[in-house]
Amino acid sequence: MKLAQFWLKWHLAIAGLALCLLALPGARLFLEANMTRHMLVQFPLLALIGFWFAGALPRNWMRRLNSWNGYGISGLFASALLLALLMIPRVLDLALVDGRIELVKWLALLVCGAAVRLSWQPAGLLVQGFFLGNVLPMMVVVGYLFESSPVRLCNAYLLDDQERLGQSLLWIAAVTGLAWLAILVRAMMRREAATALPTPSEEGPSTTYG
Amino acid sequence: MLKTALLSASLAVAGYACSAWLTHDFQVWTAEGARRLEVALQPIAAPSVQIDGPGVTAQALSQLLSDGQSVTLVDFVYTRCQTVCLALGSVYQQMQTTLQAARKTDAAARQVRLLSISFDGQHDNPRILEAYAARLGADQLLWRFVRVPDPKETQRLLADFQVIVVPDGRGAFEHNAALLVVNQHGQLVRIFDYAEQQLALDYARDLANAASPR
Repeated sequence: MKLAQFWLKWHLAIAGLALCLLALPGARLFLEANMTRHMLVQFPLLALIGFWFAGALPRNWMRRLNSWNGYGISGLFASALLLALLMIPRVLDLALVDGRIELVKWLALLVCGAAVRLSWQPAGLLVQGFFLGNVLPMMVVVGYLFESSPVRLCNAYLLDDQERLGQSLLWIAAVTGLAWLAILVRAMMRREAATALPTPSEEGPSTTYG
Repeated sequence: MLKTALLSASLAVAGYACSAWLTHDFQVWTAEGARRLEVALQPIAAPSVQIDGPGVTAQALSQLLSDGQSVTLVDFVYTRCQTVCLALGSVYQQMQTTLQAARKTDAAARQVRLLSISFDGQHDNPRILEAYAARLGADQLLWRFVRVPDPKETQRLLADFQVIVVPDGRGAFEHNAALLVVNQHGQLVRIFDYAEQQLALDYARDLANAASPR
């Protein structure tokens, strides 16, 4: 019990420290100086910190949250909404000139990461598929727009930066989609194997899986 | 499950409200679009930053722009520019030609002026601006060039008019170039893309026409 509490404290301390490091003016300036770094380094790092924080939530909090988050639907829905909002080009520009928007952006990304952690397992393949089926096509559309637009969509960033970001978003969407498909196929093959070969002595634990 | 449905429904409403706010009711998706819409809805007064330039006595920009008669088409340039400003320069040359022809017959066209403001005030002193104006064939009565000598005041002007200048790492600048229409009272009332020069010109002439006494 002592060990678990000790670990929890460390867990929180590391997440807090990482957050403070990212919030240093120098780090912010560096990460936000460039469109690709802003969206593909700072965004995921913040979401990751949120993801990490969610692992340290006390049990009674988790129980209370879970009653509002059946099958992880609320959490994944919130993440999809937040990601859609954060992909509007105006947000990137606003975050640079308005401190309040910057703060909201940070909170949104932390919540996004935390929500995915709390919701991914309970969601199961169906809800996961629905979530990715929304987020990934959205990412493809935004990526394609960034890559092919002849004009700058953000006043603060250069055109070649925007193209690079667009291409990266397309790649990320493709790779994420393929990886999830691989997981889906594996899960389905396991399930089929479990129903075709009813040998409970060997397959016992895995039949409860998924 | 009821709680989940309730929460998801309120999330949907909140998400809709946020996106409607961000995009001005789904009209704009970029900061530039928002800037143009906001200016059209709520004019911005030109700040009183000190300017100077060839043939222009040192004075406040707000003073130069609010003589009570002339409507001014403003653009932002820097003389070392090789890309957008050259396009803007030729747009301005064409507008000057159009205005010069229109002036002979139309009183309102006489009240429309062109002003190029350099945001590179450290480099673009009045002498350099004068040479630049001569190279572009600017008619001094119609098309003037100014700079803001104080870098702090330059920043203030750029912030007020929401002009974002980004160094491109090769010694040049990228900026949201556009045609800014400033009315007789020194208020920025409309922003046009520089591909819409005819529209900008017509709008300015219309403004001048509406104000001129008959």
